[in-house]
Amino acid sequence: MGPLYRLRMLTKRHGHKAALSIAGLDIFEGCIYSLTGPNGSGKSTLLGILAFLSPPTSGTLHYDGKPVEWKGRSLVPLRQEVTLVHQSPYLFEGSVYSNLAFGLKVRGIPEETQRSRIGLSLETVGLSGFEERRARALSGGEAQRVALARALALAPRVLLLDEPLANVDGRSAEVIRLVISGLPGRGTTVVMTTHDPDPPSCLNGEVIRLEEGRVSAPPGAPETPVISMRG
Amino acid sequence: MDFFLESLKASWSLILSLDRELFRAVWTSVYVSVWSIVFAALLGIPAGLAVGLLEVPFKRTVITGLNSLMAVPTVLIGLLVYGFISRQGPLGGWGLLFSPSAVIVGDALLAAPIVANYTLSSIRGAHAAILPTAMTLGAGRLRSVLKLLSEIRFGMMAAVISGFGRVISEVGVAMMLGGNILGYTRTMTTAIALETSKGEFALGIALGIILMSVALLVNIVFQILQRR
Ligand SMILES: Nc1ncnc2c1ncn2[C@@H]1O[C@H](COP(=O)(O)OP(=O)(O)OP(=O)(O)O)[C@@H](O)[C@H]1O
Ligand SMILES: [Mg+2]
Repeated sequence: MGPLYRLRMLTKRHGHKAALSIAGLDIFEGCIYSLTGPNGSGKSTLLGILAFLSPPTSGTLHYDGKPVEWKGRSLVPLRQEVTLVHQSPYLFEGSVYSNLAFGLKVRGIPEETQRSRIGLSLETVGLSGFEERRARALSGGEAQRVALARALALAPRVLLLDEPLANVDGRSAEVIRLVISGLPGRGTTVVMTTHDPDPPSCLNGEVIRLEEGRVSAPPGAPETPVISMRG
Repeated sequence: MDFFLESLKASWSLILSLDRELFRAVWTSVYVSVWSIVFAALLGIPAGLAVGLLEVPFKRTVITGLNSLMAVPTVLIGLLVYGFISRQGPLGGWGLLFSPSAVIVGDALLAAPIVANYTLSSIRGAHAAILPTAMTLGAGRLRSVLKLLSEIRFGMMAAVISGFGRVISEVGVAMMLGGNILGYTRTMTTAIALETSKGEFALGIALGIILMSVALLVNIVFQILQRR
């Protein structure tokens, strides 16, 4: 089986600044990838591309064996398989419940199923009973977990997490780590950024290290133009 | 001081007796302002959204330009519209000059940049994340934009209200394009200017009180919306 994502000679510029320049990178289904690197190394930029939210400036991206055409309509079905939880997530006006329901409604999932999935997702992140709370009035850590639950409720094929552990206290971080490490068992591929110098071993996935927009080979490994990582 | 107090007393009796001339001016002001803000919103909201959301060329320059337009003096707008709709102007045949419609056109042009700028600023900052969030949750283009509009509805209402506050209190456009015709284009502000210059201080004060109340009310609503 080929990789889920295949990136080749991929670059992304913001104005004149080259934010990303990846010669080659493969991401395989059912693995957990930790994306590390200093501030401004292009981690969020890469996640934005993997989420089909912002097109690369040049290069090719294959998803599920097919080249991605960066045209409006063709991206919607791809975005329905891949969900990104932003570094500082935006929660919609209204209740926590309506936040979690948004993506389910978009997919035309019946209301009964919505209700049970929402309850389950909130329970998973340790926020049972938060359904009727006003989302915009939550604390930073609570909001982070609601955003995670909002993505989990969609049972995405790929879950992209930008600093999921940044705002949360130690106990919640444990909970989130546990949730994440259980995801490959449910068939979900995870790519998460982290500032942990050595990402938690319980996640036992692969590490992709970015430096100034380039994938730097893991320490000790010989530099290769294409870095394949298989879990 | 006696003169002032006398006038104040007289002004209250004008208000309480529902003086016809007074309320005609109030009505004209409200009528003209409501219509002009409707047109300003139809121009300004899409313009603000377009600049904020689309990849427009020279975006920074466009934003600066939009900002500067807020500072255009009312008499300049009056002059410009006058040039178009006066007898010799390109639209002279429409006979708009010195009609409420002329004031509506001028006031709409005055308020549109205000509405556009407030709309623009309501989709920046944290709100810039609304579209990507809706899209990554699987929503299509239309649904994402609808979500955005519903998220920033208070910002858009604030934009409209601040534009309304501007047009109801301005005098330059109303004077130059309306001509302060009694019972037709006389608004609160032009009436205050005229009555005061005639020495009819009481009517001026009465109108001033009403104008202040309207402005205060608008401001309170604006503050409430801003706090959301
Ligand atoms: N919208 C933008 N416009 C201009 N430059 C941008 C934009 N977004 C990112 N950049 C630049 O691109 C580079 C990569 O940014 P990115 O956000 O991907 O870094 P990051 O690795 O996620 O950093 P952090 O650890 O701080 O989150 C940075 O130098 C940043 O300044
Ligand atoms: Mg980042």
